[in-house]
Amino acid sequence: MKENAASRVVFILLLFLSVSLLNGQSPPEKPKLVKCRSPGKETFTCWWEPGADGGLPTNYTLTYHKEGETLIHECPDYKTGGPNSCYFSKKHTSIWKMYVITVNAINQMGISSSDPLYVDVTYIVEPEPPANLTLELKHPEDRKPYLWIKWSPPTMTDVKSGWFIIQYEIRLKPEKATDWETHFTPKQTQLKIFNLYPGQKYLVQIRCKPDHGYWSEWSPESSIQIPNDFPVKDTSMWIFVAILSAVICLIMVWAVALKGYSMVTCILPPVPGPKIKGFDVHLLEKGKSEELLRALESQDFPPTSDCEDLLMEFIEVDDCEDQQLMPRPSKEHTEQGVKPMHLDLDSDSGRGSCDSPSLLSEKCDEPQAHPSKFHTPEGPEKLENPETNLTCLQAPQSTSGEGKIPYFLANGPKSSTWPFPQPPSLYSPRYSYHNIADVCELALGMAGTTATSLDQTDQHALKASKTIETGREGKATKQRESEGCSSKPDQDTVWPRPQDKTPLISAKPLEYVEIHKVSQDGVLALFPKQNEKFGAPEASKEYSKVSRVTDSNILVLVPDPQAQNLTLLEEPAKKAPPALP
Amino acid sequence: MDSKGSSQKGSRLLLLLVVSNLLLCQGVVSTPVCPNGPGNCQVSLRDLFDRAVMVSHYIHDLSSEMFNEFDKRYAQGKGFITMALNSCHTSSLPTPEDKEQAQQTHHEVLMSLILGLLRSWNDPLYHLVTEVRGMKGAPDAILSRAIEIEEENKRLLEGMEMIFGQVIPGAKETEPYPVWSGLPSLQTKDEDARYSAFYNLLHCLRRDSSKIDTYLKLLNCRIIYNNNC
Repeated sequence: MKENAASRVVFILLLFLSVSLLNGQSPPEKPKLVKCRSPGKETFTCWWEPGADGGLPTNYTLTYHKEGETLIHECPDYKTGGPNSCYFSKKHTSIWKMYVITVNAINQMGISSSDPLYVDVTYIVEPEPPANLTLELKHPEDRKPYLWIKWSPPTMTDVKSGWFIIQYEIRLKPEKATDWETHFTPKQTQLKIFNLYPGQKYLVQIRCKPDHGYWSEWSPESSIQIPNDFPVKDTSMWIFVAILSAVICLIMVWAVALKGYSMVTCILPPVPGPKIKGFDVHLLEKGKSEELLRALESQDFPPTSDCEDLLMEFIEVDDCEDQQLMPRPSKEHTEQGVKPMHLDLDSDSGRGSCDSPSLLSEKCDEPQAHPSKFHTPEGPEKLENPETNLTCLQAPQSTSGEGKIPYFLANGPKSSTWPFPQPPSLYSPRYSYHNIADVCELALGMAGTTATSLDQTDQHALKASKTIETGREGKATKQRESEGCSSKPDQDTVWPRPQDKTPLISAKPLEYVEIHKVSQDGVLALFPKQNEKFGAPEASKEYSKVSRVTDSNILVLVPDPQAQNLTLLEEPAKKAPPALP
Repeated sequence: MDSKGSSQKGSRLLLLLVVSNLLLCQGVVSTPVCPNGPGNCQVSLRDLFDRAVMVSHYIHDLSSEMFNEFDKRYAQGKGFITMALNSCHTSSLPTPEDKEQAQQTHHEVLMSLILGLLRSWNDPLYHLVTEVRGMKGAPDAILSRAIEIEEENKRLLEGMEMIFGQVIPGAKETEPYPVWSGLPSLQTKDEDARYSAFYNLLHCLRRDSSKIDTYLKLLNCRIIYNNNC
């Protein structure tokens, strides 16, 4: 009997259970917490997912406790967050504290609790999308037009105090395009978009993110229509211009490369170097100086007969201690283009000497100064070439008055090489010998064997010098001079005489013989100097010929039989013979 | 004669010093507001705050990454989190827990809290690097970040001391800071226990770096931008 009762009870229970199961009633399934999110690090909301409710009405509760506390709290707000949510307000939110949250499902059959969720609000921050997204097309003057996008921070975020740090991302695209153009802004709440295609409809979206947390959702799309007449900078034109200029540059570079040198010379012509007309460098290289010089000769140099007329040179013949006959350049003379030479005055003779080094160098350099046909002076070495007709004879130099270099041409009627006259101011007043007569004496003393010739020379020299004075006095003095000159052994007596009798002479300027011309064979053509003071109408021309040059550099003059003036000859001839031994 | 020469020498040396000082001072940045004297006054407060905020942000990023890496590798399904509650050695510091509390805290207090946190993490960071190195199969991601965090922490501490000197001149920094004593648990032989200890440490590091970062950003907006960020 008892056994029957027990088995009956079990059977009934089983029936009851099976009946209830068949009805679908059971304790609820464990709910599941889905996520918790904080929009601004000040509040947060948790959502759960309910399980099967077991066929019976089920209540869900959320309980939690904080880290470091034992007290269990229930969710303060089930509604704000929507169904199956729990909203924690500011009062209930603590940062940097772990929340242990559990959701319980309760129905008639039982209670089911979810797995606990450990939540730290710091790490569950996900803001709302930015709000108030506005789009505006702007056309400022003098600047490119653009699309101006503005927005404001999402709700529930305190950005001003710095509690919530936020960054934004905007994306836009033409309506029919597939790819979005994204822009990132770290803080600001506006953005300007340039380079928009006119006639298109653009869609714009924005989202944001906290400094540490999750990206928000994209905001709803905003759209804007770009009008057809929207001015946009056309880059294709600029590209065309750039390509064209590049092509032009390439062409120019190529042209320069091909004709580089000629173009350079066209733009920057080379500085012309010195060039001698008629001067062939190659001839010089070959060493054929004769041809070279002939080429130079042909260049209308030296001056022709005109120059001969112009050549007015005086030879100062005077005696000196050294007993040398020295040709002296005349005081006055300026040839066309010929520059006066400066004579150095030696201390010994009181005369400018031809052998002074500076003078020699001057004379050597003289052709350079001469406005000749030569374009460039080729150098002093050339001048010393005897074939050039421009010679400076390099006589041995001596410190004393001896060995004075006569300066004369080697050949050719090159008037430019004649010693140039020096200005009268340079003449030393120390000259004590200033007439040919004295020189004659010297010459007599020097060359005894050539007395006769010297006599003749004397005569002619006298004749030559005589022309300076046309007055009788002058002649008288000349006669006296000639007397003195012809007495050879009486040098001692001769000497004072001219000095005594030559007060006039001494007061007078030096007597000169004019060199009329120099012929081909070295003939000095002299003629008396015209003295305007005396109104000398003397136009006769007398010539002396240089017969030779002695070893001691004495010019030996010989009478020119062709151009003798008989009247002049007579007088000295009368008086000379008695004086002759 | 000697004195004359030496005085000349001295004057020349002085002149040289002055000139060199002037030349060196050319490279100094911006104009400082310097109540503390010429000691640390070469960078403006704004620049100091900018720099500090950058560094604190960086440290927090690194800490988060390191924690996530460790969690993914060693803590899956182990329930270490349960043990991590109340395990931070810096919990004794009275740090504000929400925005209102933080906004009501004076900046002096906030700054000294920051300094205390930074100082209290010097030692644990050093040991963390050592111990992670010795960890079996430790991924380079964790180790490199640990090294970087240790370095940046020192830098931030220096910067914070400078800021403190400028904002609160004359204040003495004698606040005590919490001492970490979790080294034995890092070195225990029980692997689970050791990993749990590491987990705790990384969890606390992530949290404290977040605190420092948030407080600094708050101070930056308050002091430099006058609550108008």
